[in-house]
Amino acid sequence: MESNFVNRPDDAPSAEEAARALHTLGDDRERMAEGIRVPWPLLAAFGGVAAWWVSAAAGTTPGEDFHAPTTGWLGLVAVLLIAHLVQREVGVRFRGMGATATWALLGILAICLLLFSVSLGLVSLGATWAVSLTALAAFGITTWLAGLAYRSAAERIGRG
Amino acid sequence: MAEARFDELIHAPMRLRICGLLRPVEELDFAVLRDALDVSDATLSKHLKTLTDAGYVVSNKAASRERSDARRVTWLALTAAGHAAFDAHVRALREIAGSAGEAT
Repeated sequence: MESNFVNRPDDAPSAEEAARALHTLGDDRERMAEGIRVPWPLLAAFGGVAAWWVSAAAGTTPGEDFHAPTTGWLGLVAVLLIAHLVQREVGVRFRGMGATATWALLGILAICLLLFSVSLGLVSLGATWAVSLTALAAFGITTWLAGLAYRSAAERIGRG
Repeated sequence: MAEARFDELIHAPMRLRICGLLRPVEELDFAVLRDALDVSDATLSKHLKTLTDAGYVVSNKAASRERSDARRVTWLALTAAGHAAFDAHVRALREIAGSAGEAT
């Protein structure tokens, strides 16, 4: 293919050298993506926040006297703080998360809302102790999905 | 889409690789970039200075309590000019490579 771009220097690389340079770029990105370790302790902290939020249902009185717990805003602050710590720990600020990671984060929101609703139902039935099970589920699922989202975002770097 | 444009400053192998790693992220820690390229601090700093002086890369430092090896974390990012120059250079390389570079 004839190259017709502007300012082609006399000592421009050959086709093979240019192809090799492009391959090196791809290899570097793949290697860096593979080297990004998932910060599981911090992702577990996301799970802890989710469990804390779901377990707040145990302190409510479902029914006409229901007042939403005030843990929501504190939880949001905690999530932002943990996200900041994740960036500092890993040393990468992603440009975008990608579709898989976005779906995983939406899944976290949906599942936490569902588990919070289930917890309210359990409390209204007098089974307050069972909220520990929904909180445990929130912890596990959130940690797992956060890991999935992070891994997906890291792999996106490898694809350029 | 910007036109292909060969950039001699970016084309130096190490600087091309630096820009290539900064391109898909918003910001990258100096240490992560150094490890990914497997180069010394001095070598990376030298090339970063060239890119920074050209207005292609910007760095900012943040205090760090987590790191014992340095008091500060240095975040690196491509500037808008750096993005444009790198993308145009990659297009130029693709044109030169022709079918040999189709895989990338």
